Amino acid sequence: MLRASAIALGYPFEMAGIGDRSSDTGIPGSGVILDFVDAVFFDNSADAARDALAVELGPEALVDAAGVYANFAMMNRVAEGTGIPIPGAAIEREAEMVSALHLDRMLKH
Amino acid sequence: MYRHTVFDFKQATITVRPDIGAVYNRFWRHLANPGGSLTGGQRVSVAAVARGGIAEADGLPLEISQLARHLMHDPATVGSENVRSAADAAGEAATVETIAIISQLSAVDSFHAALGIPTESLPSPVDGAATGDVVEGLKRRRTHVPMPAGPIPVALDLVPAEGRMLEALAGPQYMTYDEMALNDFRRTPGLDRSQMELISSRESFHNECFY
Repeated sequence: MLRASAIALGYPFEMAGIGDRSSDTGIPGSGVILDFVDAVFFDNSADAARDALAVELGPEALVDAAGVYANFAMMNRVAEGTGIPIPGAAIEREAEMVSALHLDRMLKH
Repeated sequence: MYRHTVFDFKQATITVRPDIGAVYNRFWRHLANPGGSLTGGQRVSVAAVARGGIAEADGLPLEISQLARHLMHDPATVGSENVRSAADAAGEAATVETIAIISQLSAVDSFHAALGIPTESLPSPVDGAATGDVVEGLKRRRTHVPMPAGPIPVALDLVPAEGRMLEALAGPQYMTYDEMALNDFRRTPGLDRSQMELISSRESFHNECFY
C-alpha cells in the first residue's frame, strides 16, 4: 500500500528506509515522522520528536500521526491475538519488501 | 447507561480533531457496557489488568489476565499457545472479547502517549448480563480463534459488536473506507497517505508484525 500511495503522490519511494535509518524513504517529512514513531515506541525523548514533527509538517499532522500510531497499535494486536493468516499471494507480492527489510522472521503465521 | 463525557483533550497543547474524541467516547461506553460474553465489570477489569491496575480480571480464569497483559505490552510474542490457553479456560467468545478490548484500549492509550498527555481513567462498568450476541458456527481457519474468511476487520466477528467497534475506531484514527479507496488521499491540513503508511510500516516493523 505504501508503494502504491508513493507512486500516486509522485514520491521516489525507497523501501529500505523503513527499516534502515541510514536510507532515505523519499517520503516528504520522513525524518521527523520516523523520529516520532521511534521516540513514542521506545518512550524516548518524544517531546522533541513531537515538536519537530509539528514544526515541519504542522500541528494537524501531529494529531494525524498520533491517530495512525494508535490505529496500528490496535491492528498489530488484532493480528497477533487472532493469528489472522497472511495470504501467500501477499507474501509473494511483497517479496522485495520481505528481502529489503529482512522480514522473514516475522512470517510466523 | 454510561453517559459521562471524557476525551476533551484539554491537556493537549494542540487541537485534536473532534471525530477522534467522539469515537473514543463511543469506545469508553462500549467498554463499560456488557459485551457478547463478558459483563461490563469483567470488561473493565480486563482493561485494568492490561494497564497494571489490578492483577487478575474479576471472575475470569487467570489465562485471560495473562493474555491481556501479554497482548498489551509484548504483542509480538503472543501466539497460538497463549490464545488457546485462554480459550480453553474461558471460551472462544471471552477470548475474542479480551483480544478486542486490549487492542482497542491500546489504540486509545497509544494516542495519548503519542501526544504526551495523560490517559483517561477507565470508565465505571454498567450493570447487566452479557448480551449473548456471539456468532454460531464459525471455525478456526488456521487462526488462533474462530473467524470468517477475510482481512483484519473480520477477525473479531465472532463477537459482532467488537468488529463494529474496531471499524468505527479505524476511520477517525487512520482513514475511512472512502478515503482508503484513494491512493493519493491527503488530509488537508495534515498528513498524506504515504506519510500515514510510513508511520504504520515503521510501527509494525518495531512490533514485528508483518500483517
